[in-house]
Amino acid sequence: MLDNSTTKNSLSENYQERGTCPVTVIVPAYNEADCIADTVNSLLNQTLSPEVIIVIDDGSTDSTADICHDLGVTVITPPQNTGSKAGAQNYALSHIETEFTLAIDADTTLKSDALEKLFAAMDDPEVVAACGFVIPQFVNTLWERGRYVEYLMAFTFYKEVQEYYEKPLISSGCFSLFRTEYLQQVNGWSLRTMAEDMDLTWTAYQLGKKVRFIPSAICFPIEPHNFDFMRKQLKRWAHGFIQNVRLHWKGILHVPFLRSIVAVMCWDASIASIFYLMLLPLLSITVSPLFLLGYIIDLPMILVPTLIKAYSRGETWKALSSIPAFMVLRVVNSAIFLEALFKEIVLKKTLTTYEKGH
Amino acid sequence: MNIGLPGAGVGGLYYLACAAFMPIKESFLTLTRPDHQFRYRLVITQLSIASGIILGLVLMYQLIKALFGLEQLLSAQLDSNNLVFYSLLPILISSALLLIILGLVELFAFFSKKRQPGVDS
Repeated sequence: MLDNSTTKNSLSENYQERGTCPVTVIVPAYNEADCIADTVNSLLNQTLSPEVIIVIDDGSTDSTADICHDLGVTVITPPQNTGSKAGAQNYALSHIETEFTLAIDADTTLKSDALEKLFAAMDDPEVVAACGFVIPQFVNTLWERGRYVEYLMAFTFYKEVQEYYEKPLISSGCFSLFRTEYLQQVNGWSLRTMAEDMDLTWTAYQLGKKVRFIPSAICFPIEPHNFDFMRKQLKRWAHGFIQNVRLHWKGILHVPFLRSIVAVMCWDASIASIFYLMLLPLLSITVSPLFLLGYIIDLPMILVPTLIKAYSRGETWKALSSIPAFMVLRVVNSAIFLEALFKEIVLKKTLTTYEKGH
Repeated sequence: MNIGLPGAGVGGLYYLACAAFMPIKESFLTLTRPDHQFRYRLVITQLSIASGIILGLVLMYQLIKALFGLEQLLSAQLDSNNLVFYSLLPILISSALLLIILGLVELFAFFSKKRQPGVDS
């Protein structure tokens, strides 16, 4: 380990000169033979190389482990399938000896300088987690297109504002860098909610730690390509959000800005969803069809940040033609959230089974 | 990860307000902290996005008004002297709603006891 006190350079600058950094990458994988090679190759081709790459083969029945062995990375196998991404990540935690841990999904590739950009956030010793900009790897189906617009909009505007006020809502589960010490302090990725990344982020804030969003660190996950996978993922996210609010609400009340964004999110996801899915159609039938305009009236809110980012990436037409898909995704997202809310709060049926969304 | 209705509702309004407040906060930080440098690029980008959204919403309203004859429809049903007020009503309601939500959260925060987060054993 480099002694930071002997030089004027920052921690990240010191390691940039070496070309490697004290990071262990952990990649939980279950039957990922189709995409794991791309993920590992993108890790091997980073401008700042991680010290160790560990793939957790969580009981795959395909050739995931063989592919990883051929690429020369470490493969570890739990005695039995852990049942969730968090379970596999926790299994790997005891194998980590470096100061930092990069958690990445098996279907997520990185831009070549992503780790270098993310690692720079760790110059601040108070930062325990950092995440980057997420852009879907494939943008073909209706669901992938909807997600593409959602991410361009959210990561260009919402997440940037959250970062400015030093409270990114989540350090994304698909690509985040952590201080290993922090992960050990909180016993890794918790299994108590379906959104372990949100749990980990909100816990950090309550402990007085910082989380950063670095927009120039870009990752490309494979997003759900059909309704079945999308439904499973949205269901997990919706239940996970409700579970986290129930678990942390007393704690996050003392975290300025975070408490505000969670409160408005709760309102929009519940009351606004009811208005959007039930009241607007009802009013358009009983009072005036003009109420249907409510579905498109906020279009500039979506269009402006999305097109600004898409233009800078040379993808204006792709983004513009994907807007209708986002409107569909938004309706589905609202409906699934209301269903989750009803199950969690009214029926007291907590979702505990992890269903893979992709 | 977005829950519910990304892009719509009071959430959108809140982020617009936060972006609009950025230059004020940034100026304050620059004046009060000697080591702080004004983050022009970030602030201008986010402010431009927020301004673009507001402009887009105004244009959207004008487009709807022109396409659907909203003015005639409203003046037929409502007091034509207060048309501007009725046009602004949705924004006024949303803003009031946002202030109520934020006010309630601050009130809860003020009266609740601080506690440490639990972790899985």
